[in-house]
Amino acid sequence: MNIGTRKILDRSFTAVGIGSIIVMAVALMIVVVPIITNGIGAVFFTGTVEHRKMLFSEFKRGDSEGLSSEVASSERYRAKVYEMLTGFEAELETMAPEKKAEYKSKYAQVRAALQALLGPLPGDSAPMLTRFKYGQTRWEKAEEKLHDFLYESKWDNSNPDVMSKEYFVSRAISFQGTSLVKLFPYVKNNLEYMLLPEFTVYWGFITDSSVDSHFFGGIWPEIQGTFFLAVGAMLFAFPLGVVAAVYFTEYARPGFLNSMLRSANSTLAGVPSIVFGMFGLAFFINTMKVSESKSVIAGALTLAIMILPTIIRAAEEAILAVPKTYREASLSLGSTKWNTIATVILPAALPGILTGGVISLGRAAGETAPIIFTAAVSVGSAIGLADVFSSPTPALSWNIYNLASEHEAASQIRHVQYGMVLALVSIVLMLNLSAIVLRARISKKLKG
Amino acid sequence: MKFQSYPVAAYLVYKCKKTRIKTMIKKISLFVVLLAVTLFATAGAVGNTLVLDGSTTVGPLAKTFAAYFTKKYGVRVTVSESGSGNGAKSLINGSCTIATMSRAMKAAEIAAARQKGVNPVASIVALDGLAMVVHPANPVRSLTKAQISSIYRGAITNWREVGGPNTRIVVIQRESNSGTEESFKELVIGKGIPVTGSAETQSSNGSVKSRVSTTLSAIGFLGHGFVDGSVKVIAVNGIFPTVAAVKNGTYPVSRPLYFYTNGQPSGVVKQFVDLPKSAEGKRMITELGFINR
Repeated sequence: MNIGTRKILDRSFTAVGIGSIIVMAVALMIVVVPIITNGIGAVFFTGTVEHRKMLFSEFKRGDSEGLSSEVASSERYRAKVYEMLTGFEAELETMAPEKKAEYKSKYAQVRAALQALLGPLPGDSAPMLTRFKYGQTRWEKAEEKLHDFLYESKWDNSNPDVMSKEYFVSRAISFQGTSLVKLFPYVKNNLEYMLLPEFTVYWGFITDSSVDSHFFGGIWPEIQGTFFLAVGAMLFAFPLGVVAAVYFTEYARPGFLNSMLRSANSTLAGVPSIVFGMFGLAFFINTMKVSESKSVIAGALTLAIMILPTIIRAAEEAILAVPKTYREASLSLGSTKWNTIATVILPAALPGILTGGVISLGRAAGETAPIIFTAAVSVGSAIGLADVFSSPTPALSWNIYNLASEHEAASQIRHVQYGMVLALVSIVLMLNLSAIVLRARISKKLKG
Repeated sequence: MKFQSYPVAAYLVYKCKKTRIKTMIKKISLFVVLLAVTLFATAGAVGNTLVLDGSTTVGPLAKTFAAYFTKKYGVRVTVSESGSGNGAKSLINGSCTIATMSRAMKAAEIAAARQKGVNPVASIVALDGLAMVVHPANPVRSLTKAQISSIYRGAITNWREVGGPNTRIVVIQRESNSGTEESFKELVIGKGIPVTGSAETQSSNGSVKSRVSTTLSAIGFLGHGFVDGSVKVIAVNGIFPTVAAVKNGTYPVSRPLYFYTNGQPSGVVKQFVDLPKSAEGKRMITELGFINR
C-alpha cells in the first residue's frame, strides 16, 4: 500500500472515531437533558396557594398565619367568582324550560372546569378523595386548566370520509346574553390573584409518602424500597460471589467440570432479567415459601441470583490480576494457602471486587422485571426493617412503569413520574461514581 | 536482617498497607451501618398487613381504599395491579389476603383453590360499565353489540362499514390474564370465539387508553373509572354507560368487580371488604367513576 492511501485510511478512521464519539455524546444528551429538566420540576416548580394548603393540611407543614392571610387574599378574588355563579344559578331558574335545559349542561361543564382549577366550590359537599380537595397545585397545570375553562374542545365532522378535526370554541360566546359572560374574562385576568403562584422548592418530594396514589406528596417509600432491595441483594450476592470466585481461581482444577461451570456462569450473566423474575416467583415464593406473600426478602434473593454471575466474573478477573509474586512471597514465608488468600490476595484484589460489586448494586436498583412478581407493589407505605421478611414494598423502577402505563390519571401526574426517573438515575449514577472513587482511593493506598 | 529477595519485601510492604485498608473498610462499613440505621429508623413497624393483588381495573378502588384504611385503622395495606388472573393465582397460592378481580373466578380456578385448601369467597365491590372507546376525532357515535362483535372477530375491518371514514380499524384488546378481556369476550363476542389475529394487545387499562388516545382509527375497551377527555366513549346499542344505565342493567356491557378472600372474611379483612358498604366507601366509589351496587 502506498503512503498516500495509508494516510487517507488513517485519517478516515480518525474521522469515523470522532464521529461516533459525537453521536454517542448527542444521544446521551438527548436522553439525559429531558430527564434532568423534567425531573427537577418535581422539586422546583411554581406552586400555587393550593399547594401550600395541601402541605399544611396533609403534612402539617408551613406557617399557618402566612397561609391564612394568603388564603384570605385569594378568597377575596374568588368570592366574586362565587357571586357570579350564584347569580347565574338564580338567572337559570327564571329561564324558559328549554333554554334552561340547554344552559344547564353547559353550566355543569363550566363548574367542573372551575372545580379543577380552584378546588371545591361553595355548595359542593367535601370530597373523599384528596385529589378533589384542592385546586391546581402547580401553576403550569393551572394554565392548562384555564384553557379548558375558557375554551370548549369540539370536533368538526362535516366531511364523513375523513377523521374529524379539533377546534376550540370560546365558552364566553355560548353564554352570550347571560350574566355568566363576565365570569370568563374575570377568571382569565385574576387567576394569578386567586392562586398566588410563587417559586416553590418542595424537598418533601423526596422525603414524604405519597397521598392519594401519587397525586400529592413524595416518593420516599419508593426510594426506601429501592435501597432495601438493592442492599439486600448485595448482602446475599457479594459474599457468595467472592467465595465462588476464589474457588474458581484458586481451588478448582482445570478440567471439563470447571470449564462447564464457568460457561454456565457466563450464560447466567446473559439471561434476561424477567426469567429471573419468574424463577424467583416459582422458587422463592411458591416452593421455598420464604414469605407468605411478595416480600422484600424474596425480591432481594431474586435480584441476588441475577447479579451473582457479574460479581463472580468481576471478582475472578480482579483475583487473576494480582501479581503472582505476591502469592509466591507469601507462600515462601511458610504461609498456608488459605492464609495467603485471606491476607494477601483478597486485599490486593479488593478494588476490582468492590467495583464489580457496586456496579451490580446499581443494576439491582434499576431492574424492574425481577421484582414485578416477587417484591413490588404499586401502593404501600414505607416499611421498617422488621417487615422485610413479610411485606412487599414499592420501588422506583416498578412504580415508574406503573405511573407510565397503569395509573388511572397518568397524564395528570407526569411530574411525579419524571421525578422518580431522575431519583433512580441519580441513585444509580451515585453508586457508580462511588465505585470509581472507592477504587481510586484503595489503589492509591495500595501503591503507598 | 536483610531483605534481599523481592517477593518478601513486597509482602512486608504490603502488610503495612493492609492495616490502612482495614481502617478504610471499617470506615466504609460504619458508613453503611449509619445509612442503614437512618433508613430503618424512619419507618415504624406496623402490625399486620393486608396484601391485595389482582385486577388493574379494580386498582384505583383498591389503592384508594388502602390509603383510607391505613389512615383510619393503622393497618398497612399494599396493592399490586398484576391482572385478575394473577390475583386468582396469588390467592390460590396463599400469597395475598384479598384477590381483586374484574371477573368472577372460573370453575377451574375454584377447583385448584379447593385442592390447596383455599376456599374463595366473593364479595362485590362495585359495578363497572365496560366503556367502548375510540379517538375523539372518530365521528362514529354509536355501535351495536353485533357490530362490535364483528369488529373484534375480524369480520368488519374498516370504519366505513359502520358509518365512519374510510380507514382500517385498529382493534385493541387486553392480555389473556385480564379480567376485563374475559368479561368483554363473554359479554360481547361470546365464549370460545377467538378475537381477530390482527388485534393489538395492551397490558393495562392505562395503556389501552394511551394507545386509543394517540391512534385515530383505534377502538378499545376500558373500565369506566379510567375514561377521561383523551378518549371518546361510544354508545352500545344506543346506550351510554351512565350510572343509571349500568345500575338497571340496560347498558349491555357491564359487570361486577370483586374482592375474593380465603374463607368468610373476619376481623380486619372483613372490615376492609365491607368498606364499599359504608357511606364513605360509596362516596369513594362514585368519585372514582365506578358505580355503587
